Amino acid sequence: MRQRPGTNPTPTGLRSVLTPTALAAAAAILVCLLDLSLGLATTDSPLATSPLLGLPPLVEVILLGAVGVLALVSAARSRVAQVRAETARLRADEDSQRLLQVIDNTSAVIYMRDRDGRYLLVNRRYEELFGVKREEIVGMSDFDLFPPAAAAEFRANDLKALARGAAIQFEETAPQEDGPHAYITVKYPITDAAGDHYAICGISTDITDLKRAEAEAKSLNAGLEARVRERTAELEASTRELDAFAYSVSHDLRAPLRAVAGFSELLLEDYAAGLDDTGRDYLGRVVAATSRMSRLIDDLLALSRATRVELSWRPVDLTAIAQRVLADLRATDSGRDRPIELIVEQGLRATGDPALLELALQNLIGNAWKFTAKQDKALIHVGADQLPDGARAFFVRDTGAGFDMRYADKLFIPFQRLHSREDFAGSGIGLAIVGRIIARHGGRIWAEGHPERGAVFRFVLPERPPEPAHPGGGAR
Amino acid sequence: MNDAPILLAEDNPDDVLLTRRAFSKNGFENRIIAVPDGEACLAALLPAVGPALNPALVLLDINLPKIGGLDVLGRLRADPRTRTVPVVILTTSREQRDVIEGYRLGANSYVCKPVSFTAFVAVVRTLATYWLRVNEPRPDSGAAP
Repeated sequence: MRQRPGTNPTPTGLRSVLTPTALAAAAAILVCLLDLSLGLATTDSPLATSPLLGLPPLVEVILLGAVGVLALVSAARSRVAQVRAETARLRADEDSQRLLQVIDNTSAVIYMRDRDGRYLLVNRRYEELFGVKREEIVGMSDFDLFPPAAAAEFRANDLKALARGAAIQFEETAPQEDGPHAYITVKYPITDAAGDHYAICGISTDITDLKRAEAEAKSLNAGLEARVRERTAELEASTRELDAFAYSVSHDLRAPLRAVAGFSELLLEDYAAGLDDTGRDYLGRVVAATSRMSRLIDDLLALSRATRVELSWRPVDLTAIAQRVLADLRATDSGRDRPIELIVEQGLRATGDPALLELALQNLIGNAWKFTAKQDKALIHVGADQLPDGARAFFVRDTGAGFDMRYADKLFIPFQRLHSREDFAGSGIGLAIVGRIIARHGGRIWAEGHPERGAVFRFVLPERPPEPAHPGGGAR
Repeated sequence: MNDAPILLAEDNPDDVLLTRRAFSKNGFENRIIAVPDGEACLAALLPAVGPALNPALVLLDINLPKIGGLDVLGRLRADPRTRTVPVVILTTSREQRDVIEGYRLGANSYVCKPVSFTAFVAVVRTLATYWLRVNEPRPDSGAAP
């Protein structure tokens, strides 16, 4: 620890020891000793008078000695008191020095005003900010330093804290060179020994930057909200457009298609005799193409519907749906003569939109059916298993043509086909519809496959509806 | 067999011709009266003056010029003269909203026009055999079957 200033014993210490009382005591003792030695030297009788005071030397010695001792005790006492007082004063000085150092080295603005609003003390930050010295400010009030409105506000807050008798927090604005600054200020009354509030102390922290950031954040948020509203409106508008478009596609594209298909079929049926084989072949191709286009329009509409239709959440029995879909496939594809084993596990239950989940299973199982058509011993297995993360995944597995995993990311994109149309018919939209349906449920779907070794499509559905989706939700 | 005509409200001439052919393929010749829009359809069924057409069946396309098919249906069902005439709505899509609205307005059935003509002939067969026979005089009333 460093030597405290003012505690060095010399020479101040020596001077303070040489007080008059102490000198008197020392003199008395010296005289006493001199007296004793003189008395003892000049007389044989201890009762003979001494040359100094005319008293017997022994009495003189005792008297002077007593006076000396008393004086010494008194001197020592007064010295102790003096040292004590000095120590206390030094300690007080030291405390206030320390406090001053503390308040001078904070970024907060600290000040003390008396009950009438006159400054008693300000810290260095205050001096720097408002360009006044603490020696000069004593006795001034805020009305001498600030515009009347600001001064009145500060004064009013001072009075509130005084009236309350406890700390109160305020937000105040002080005009500064670079414009108004916002402060968060704590004001509290200072109490004297009698318990009276004789002053008010304020500690003000500049929160201008914070306020600015807050305002910016607010305006950003407001802007963001406005943008979200705008985008929502745009989305709603484009959903309506999509809706109108889908409707018009279904109506306007089908009408000419119906004419092409209808009259081609009529030609083939009623006028085939007037055509040669090539002509009939061409017409047959026209009819087949219209049928594909019709399917394509149907699938596009289904994709659009899967995107925009409102989901209704209900318990769905996937086992029952899968059995129904397979029964339909068996009934409508009577030309399929190769054996196929169908396994549908019991108890496949989920929550979701029954119509959409049926459409999804129709496509998944329909795919499995289609891609196993050329297998001699095919298997389609609809079931569920547990994933490593505990989720229950439903699956549709087949032993069909499979696919190359390199193209797995293309499976769920509309019009992306991994097999030629000659090998396997289809619009290339079926799995996009499935993907869209699972996404709209807030679930996920993925596939694994190997060429000629089959494929498995797995999907996970959440147990309850995801957070309310914004309009057009699920569209990617 | 009911001899009353079939009123076809359809603006697409190709569809009119194909519908006629589909009916004739099923043995119902020259029975179709076609009108190209909703206004003409109402004029035929609910004329301001003169005799009203009394068809065995109205085939009503939803997307009709001037007055839409669903509006026409609403007006037919609001008038005592046509409250019970069988109306089958023709749609091009399976849009649920049209079908539901059609039934709400009192349609008897709906047909989604298939692209394939062969399929359309089959649909017409079902339509004709049901709706044209429903209004046939009962055998015990003495009319020939």
